[in-house]
Amino acid sequence: MKRDVSDKNILNNFCLKFCRILSKHVEYIVVSGFVAIASGRTRGTEDIDIIIRKMSSDDFRELHKDLIKEGFICIQSFQTGEIFNYLKDKSSVRYCLKNQPVPQIELKFKKDKLDDYQFKTKEKLPLTDLDVWFSSVNMNVAFKEELLKSPKDIEDARYLRLVYREKINEKEIEKIKKMIKEMRL
Amino acid sequence: MRDSHIGQIEEWAEFVRQNPKEWREIHTKFFNSIFINQKRVYKKLTNTKEGKSALIEFYGIRNIRGFSDLTDKI
Repeated sequence: MKRDVSDKNILNNFCLKFCRILSKHVEYIVVSGFVAIASGRTRGTEDIDIIIRKMSSDDFRELHKDLIKEGFICIQSFQTGEIFNYLKDKSSVRYCLKNQPVPQIELKFKKDKLDDYQFKTKEKLPLTDLDVWFSSVNMNVAFKEELLKSPKDIEDARYLRLVYREKINEKEIEKIKKMIKEMRL
Repeated sequence: MRDSHIGQIEEWAEFVRQNPKEWREIHTKFFNSIFINQKRVYKKLTNTKEGKSALIEFYGIRNIRGFSDLTDKI
């Protein structure tokens, strides 16, 4: 039986709605905590992190227009140019639904070759029951163990290692950790 | 303390693997309750000027146009 929006929780529906709009305009990947959460991890969160390919200001204007049409707003500004400048300056921007400050999408442009690699290795995760693109399980484990390292991130990584044990590739995780050391630390 | 928490996470991961239908229902209830409760608190806070200010500050809201609840009664 095909599962639809109504079967899903509030956070999943929110993600799905946003990603459906994104996919019409730009390549994207959902990264970090929501990968674990959508895969069944139960912990509090208020946001979903998404990386998108860099866009021109005109293309971003079209994306933003579509987001507004579908009920989203940017928390930081209502001016498209200002929002685009945040993204261009390597900051993130936050979107939520009108009159609902949470959940939020934290959106940023891809910044380096490591992000390119995240796009190259993106995957769909049937366990999540969400038709959206995620950065790979191995990528998320590496980021959480090598870069982020908070107790919450270590727990997320442990959870991903267990729930996706067939996907875990230690060689690949080590390769990504090396890239993180070279580019982010 | 942290070790036992990791233990619970490991047990839950195993439950998710072994019970593909059951985990989803529990997970959905958990997340929906968080956001339903958040919505309730948000509504309550919008009833007072102080509550509105707190929400604007807490969420770093600079696009106030997107939040009619926070502007129309101030």
